[in-house]
Amino acid sequence: MKRRAICSLIAGLLAAPLLLPVAHAQTEADVKAQVAKLKPKDFPTQPIELTVVYPAGGAVDVSARHVGKYFEKWSGQKAIVNNRTGGAGIVGHTYLATQAKNDGYTLGVVASLIFADSMLRSQGRWTLDNLEPIAYLNSDGLNAIVSSEGPYKDKSFKDMIELAKQKPNTIRVATVPNSVFEYLVDQLELVTGAKFLKVPFQGGAPAIAAVLGNHVDMSIGFHVEFISMLEAKKVTPIAVASAERSPYLPNVPTVNEILGRKDVIWGATRWVTAPKGIPADRKAYLVAAFNAAVRDPELQAEFRKLGSVPDTRFATPAQIAEHLNRLATLERDFYVKSGRLK
Amino acid sequence: MPVTFALTPVASIAMLAAMFYGAMYGGSTTSILVNIPGEAASVVTCLDGYQMAKQGRAGVALGMAAIGSFIAGTLSLVAMTFFSPLLTSAALTFGPPENFALMVLGLVCTILMIQGSALKGIMMIGLGLLLATVGIDLVDGKERFTFGSVDLSAGFDLVAVVIGLFGVSEILLNVESAIKNEVVATRIRELLPTWQDWKDSWKPILRGSGLGFLLGVIPGGGPVTASFMSYAVERRIAKDPTRFGKGAIEGLAGPESANNAAVASGMIPLMSLGLPGNAVTALLMGALIIQGVQPGPMMMSQHPDVFWGVIASMYVGNVFLLILNLPLIGLWVQLLRVPYAVLFPIILLLAVVGTYSANKNFFDLYVMIGFGVIGYVLRKFDYEMGPLLLSFVLAPLLEQSLRQSMVMSSEGFAIFLARPITVTLLAISLALILLVVKRKVQTKGDAT
Repeated sequence: MKRRAICSLIAGLLAAPLLLPVAHAQTEADVKAQVAKLKPKDFPTQPIELTVVYPAGGAVDVSARHVGKYFEKWSGQKAIVNNRTGGAGIVGHTYLATQAKNDGYTLGVVASLIFADSMLRSQGRWTLDNLEPIAYLNSDGLNAIVSSEGPYKDKSFKDMIELAKQKPNTIRVATVPNSVFEYLVDQLELVTGAKFLKVPFQGGAPAIAAVLGNHVDMSIGFHVEFISMLEAKKVTPIAVASAERSPYLPNVPTVNEILGRKDVIWGATRWVTAPKGIPADRKAYLVAAFNAAVRDPELQAEFRKLGSVPDTRFATPAQIAEHLNRLATLERDFYVKSGRLK
Repeated sequence: MPVTFALTPVASIAMLAAMFYGAMYGGSTTSILVNIPGEAASVVTCLDGYQMAKQGRAGVALGMAAIGSFIAGTLSLVAMTFFSPLLTSAALTFGPPENFALMVLGLVCTILMIQGSALKGIMMIGLGLLLATVGIDLVDGKERFTFGSVDLSAGFDLVAVVIGLFGVSEILLNVESAIKNEVVATRIRELLPTWQDWKDSWKPILRGSGLGFLLGVIPGGGPVTASFMSYAVERRIAKDPTRFGKGAIEGLAGPESANNAAVASGMIPLMSLGLPGNAVTALLMGALIIQGVQPGPMMMSQHPDVFWGVIASMYVGNVFLLILNLPLIGLWVQLLRVPYAVLFPIILLLAVVGTYSANKNFFDLYVMIGFGVIGYVLRKFDYEMGPLLLSFVLAPLLEQSLRQSMVMSSEGFAIFLARPITVTLLAISLALILLVVKRKVQTKGDAT
């Protein structure tokens, strides 16, 4: 823990003077020169591998492919995406935390779904401390959605909670077992006393199809999963489980606003991570290069196309680690309260 | 997929879709020539396709597979061009109970596929269902039969299982049989289908196209289900069902058409609902999103160029598949002249590479070898691999849709009787089972 803090600090100090003014006065060439100045002589001599623990085509994979492209643009070095899939991510997460070499060539593009893996499924073999953050990419909040044509089309989120309280086990909600989808619904039940009928689906897309076909009454999903249904006016989002309102849905309240709480935050936060302990000079270089990439407006536009929210407030590894720890602590508290974790 | 990054949306999705149905056809080539299916949808093709090759009709089999695929793919596209919006709402009516009924029908069709001993076949279906439970429970997330292994928590990978059960075990069996080149021994006679073949095949092709088209639209369906349901149908309605499994061209033409039709119509839920039916369409969806095209109800109005571009490219792709494949048939058939001693090590090498590249997980190679040995032993004792694999493919959706239905229902199994589609599908399943039992009883009566 201590060494990690020092490492992050060093990298942060190296990166800070470089990063702060980037957005404004500097030209592209300046930034590229600054990134190049940090390049160690012997690194990289081969492409950087970005491990993605989910299949090609998903939101994490697409984010990784974009960031790899912009890493190349700013550093001139190659980055390739490698999908190590299996076990809903646990296979790849375990690889990153316990087997991947910490020489800077193997990085991971991970999502906050790794929190649950580290706390509930790693079986003590690894924790989040086996990894260290390099660069923050983006985040998505989970949304609650009803059909715009079904029997609940005029109900607010509060109405749905009330209905589930008055007539327990009658409001059918599509969730994805063992995922943030389910944890969100569980936490809603825990803090409001409502009781939903939770119908399990494999992912947000089938869940949203189920709400359209009236097989369920409410569904949970990421923005990208229902954006086209929203444009076709087939679904109505009624709440978002993020800390702030989604910039894409400014009229949809957050769950915390509705319930008067602060701790209902579920979604996916994505970042570039590395196995712990990569050499300080290599880390500083990678931090600078990836940060130059995530500050590129073109990359941010790509993220927005995915319905994700880029955020450049988290620039140094220390800042990212602090933010992630805050999210992880909220999750841990919920796992303890819901009896998932002792 | 990474390649598509640099292309336009239409070009990238056209390329990926073409690779998908190209692979669908390539998978049947190896099924016919060496009894090793390239992917799960070609398993059925082995049954009669390989037998045809043994009879010296490999060229006919390959030709009919290509032509059937072409006709089915084209018909499916025409239907898709006209009926997309209609089918989209039909696909939405398929909720968990409907999917469950469909999977039950699928399992019943698996029983109809059994060639030899019914008891052994049903045992294999049971084994397939059992093997599919390994890994993380889809509903409550508990690990089952993983013995604490992270690798097993993902379950057995389908690619590794297919290659193991069919490829590795086939090689082991052949190594043992003193390397005699059966296929070449019976000379390669005809290269093109005869008039009789056409007469036998056109109806199965049309039926396969229709079936494949419908199953492709339904999220729980897809090419694998389509191919063996078509086989079951053909065998069911054939005048002489005993020819099946011995090189009946109907048993090849029907399923081959069905899987290609399903590939094409599988684009409907993808493009109009943003609902990928399987891993490949999920990849296509990712490729579209990368390009800033969001699949869904608005795609046709917001990106008409992409929507119709993809459909047009699939028409062209189908024609190309035919043009490229027909002249190559002669070449593929020549492959059979390569001595097994040379051919099999190469196939084994490709099997290893193919299995590893699917997930880049070393554990999959152990799975492949393990299933190869299991397949070898089982086949020695005349257990069939087809039912085992097909029930393994159906099991996850079967279990999931059953458990979803049970959660949704307040009156237990009554949910299946309250919906017209489920009642119809379950009634068909029951009727098929009764027919099989009746036939068994009759043949037993005749024997005594």
